[in-house]
Amino acid sequence: MTKEINKHHIETPKEKQNRHKAMEAAAVLEKIKHEFKEPAKAMDYFYDLYDKVHCKHEALHDDKVKVGTMCIQVPAEIVHALDATPIRLCNGFYTDDEIGSDLLPQKSCPLVKATIGHFVSDNFSDKPDVVISPTTCDQKAKSGAIIEERGYKLFDMEFPRTKESEESREYWRRSVRKFTAQLSNDLNKKLTRKKLKESITKIGYAQHLYHQLNSLRKNENAPILGVDMFLVTNAFFFDNINNWISAIKPLIKEMEQRVKDEYNAAHKRSPRIVYTGSPPIFPNLKIPLTIEESDAIIVADETCSSNRMFNDMVSVDEWFVNDMVDAVADRYLKGCTCPIFTKNSDRIRRIVELVRDYKADGVVYQAFAGCQVYEMEQRSVLEAMEKEGIPILYVESDYSPNQGGQLTTRVEAFIESLKNRRKKRI
Amino acid sequence: MKKIRDYINNADIRKFRFWLQLFFFVIFVFGAYFSIDLGHEIPVLSCGYDRENGGMCYFLPLQHQLARPLDLLFSVASITVLIGFLTFVLWFIVFNKAWCGYACPLGTMQDWLTSLRKIFGIRFSTYNQTQFDKLKKIKYFMLALVILAPILVGMGVLGGEWRTAFCEICPGRMITPLFVGDTSQWTIDFSSKSAMVLTALGMIITGLFIVGSFFKKRFFCFFCPMSAMHYIFSDAALIRLKKDGDKCTKCGDCYNVCDMQIKDIADDVESTNILRDDCTLCMKCVAACPEDDALHVDILNMKVFTSTKDGFAKRMQVNKWEAKDD
Repeated sequence: MTKEINKHHIETPKEKQNRHKAMEAAAVLEKIKHEFKEPAKAMDYFYDLYDKVHCKHEALHDDKVKVGTMCIQVPAEIVHALDATPIRLCNGFYTDDEIGSDLLPQKSCPLVKATIGHFVSDNFSDKPDVVISPTTCDQKAKSGAIIEERGYKLFDMEFPRTKESEESREYWRRSVRKFTAQLSNDLNKKLTRKKLKESITKIGYAQHLYHQLNSLRKNENAPILGVDMFLVTNAFFFDNINNWISAIKPLIKEMEQRVKDEYNAAHKRSPRIVYTGSPPIFPNLKIPLTIEESDAIIVADETCSSNRMFNDMVSVDEWFVNDMVDAVADRYLKGCTCPIFTKNSDRIRRIVELVRDYKADGVVYQAFAGCQVYEMEQRSVLEAMEKEGIPILYVESDYSPNQGGQLTTRVEAFIESLKNRRKKRI
Repeated sequence: MKKIRDYINNADIRKFRFWLQLFFFVIFVFGAYFSIDLGHEIPVLSCGYDRENGGMCYFLPLQHQLARPLDLLFSVASITVLIGFLTFVLWFIVFNKAWCGYACPLGTMQDWLTSLRKIFGIRFSTYNQTQFDKLKKIKYFMLALVILAPILVGMGVLGGEWRTAFCEICPGRMITPLFVGDTSQWTIDFSSKSAMVLTALGMIITGLFIVGSFFKKRFFCFFCPMSAMHYIFSDAALIRLKKDGDKCTKCGDCYNVCDMQIKDIADDVESTNILRDDCTLCMKCVAACPEDDALHVDILNMKVFTSTKDGFAKRMQVNKWEAKDD
């Protein structure tokens, strides 16, 4: 009798959280795999990866020092050059969002709440040894203190909120130099010229591959779904970079073949969408899924979980450590189109250029309820798009699973109107 | 046609530039050995004090011509001055400021000093923006010196030693003749007070030139009156540096590689003609631009060299990478 009682296992809170997260992840993966046309074979690597990390909770980086990053501004080139691996901690789980809600104001951004929730539950498959928090938006900047209270080692990386001035550029360069010195000291590794050049080349190569894949979406028949593309780019947050590179190569090949075969991942008449706004992070692919389930296809995006992470590349004039560090720093400030900056005409120009370049029919602008900067910038972007004659839909969403109906109706109506516009044009 | 275009856009501009610079250096500094003489209206600082030059910097003859007595300067007899000037403008219009980046012997020497610094593994220095904005004005004062000093000599206000005042203080006068083994310029002229001041100043500036351009890329070009003179006519030139602001993400890669620290190249998304007064049209910015067609060099509105994603990847060597076991 006692034996049987012993056998009966009571689920710990952590296990329960993991079960919930696995359910969230599995549900989204199932949708992506089965609700559309046959997915590409090379996508299996990514589906398996998400299954491993988010459903089975397996660790990927046991052999390396893990540097957790709170935003894209932490220079991955430098982390890699110091033999560590960067893991971006921006989180998309509703389970974690709910845990984090207890510690943050009610109207906070779900992404920040989920990230904090992850730390509170201390339930990492790859637990970061040190956390780097660039002072980008208010909510993220202030979260640093909460994370530190929980006993994590945290480094605040100062980030300027204007980017035009020479002062901000110099300020950020200094900030990156300080970060480099600190990390190199903490890890007891020297940043050598050879290592840094190698890591700049490696990341540059990953970006180059991303650009190759991405530009295939310019074709009249876009070969890959937006949700698949988000999975690919999202994987860059946490995957082993070498594996990511080897996985994306066959995907490019397969997509090139699809382009040759004039294969469309959606349908011939599916409206083409540029996606912008708060970053969709797995498993919160709610809006992209809704768009593509409504027979549209996302052909480009302007978000920090995808395009913005890859777009701007490092260019170095003289390959000395100092010059390389400064050049790396520039990459993360100058071209960034994050709405935290005082002025942001760059973002508008970028969206317009994406619409032209990828021959899109319309733009979907998504903001997390509580993501103040994206909410604030909505008006100026909408005005600019109106001026350019580009249809745009603004939607506000959060991580809760029961928002579906109303959102779907709005998205469907927008896509329907794009289809009508298309017909008229023809 | 597409193949040729891809070949050019993927080209390693540094090699091309190195050999072209060497070629022009030989022509301008040693040209006379090969009986090459391109005239006296060359729009680069190819020094006339170098007796073997194959084409002379326009400033030396210009200063001599402007130093004529005023009545003579404004008479029919000065039609030659006008012809000289037109020849200068014609030479210039063909290559625009590429004269600075590709042909100027003094510019080439500075690039060689830069290479020397690289061998020593010393990092380059830069100005900050405030310094830069102040310093870049100096070249216009220099240009004023080139034009006004000889005219004042012609009017009898200044003594004859001011006739070629700019040449006296130009580092080219002392350095270029060294290449043909002529050290006669390395003296201070004690014949008069102003001659002494000018030649001493020349010596100081030459010293600054050598030290300065060792640490700062293209140190002297910020102050060069020829560069200022070019800028007046650059709108009429055939070769142009153009920018498509819509395609620019302001990432600053171009600014980062610019020897002349021209910030507009990255930040100005309005202008289509992006050539600025300090520009040497070296085209490093175009080579460093990762966006398709954002920066390009045009000849008569035809793109001859344009920025491409692939070209960038090739030049930055990020188009290939093999995983190593580590």
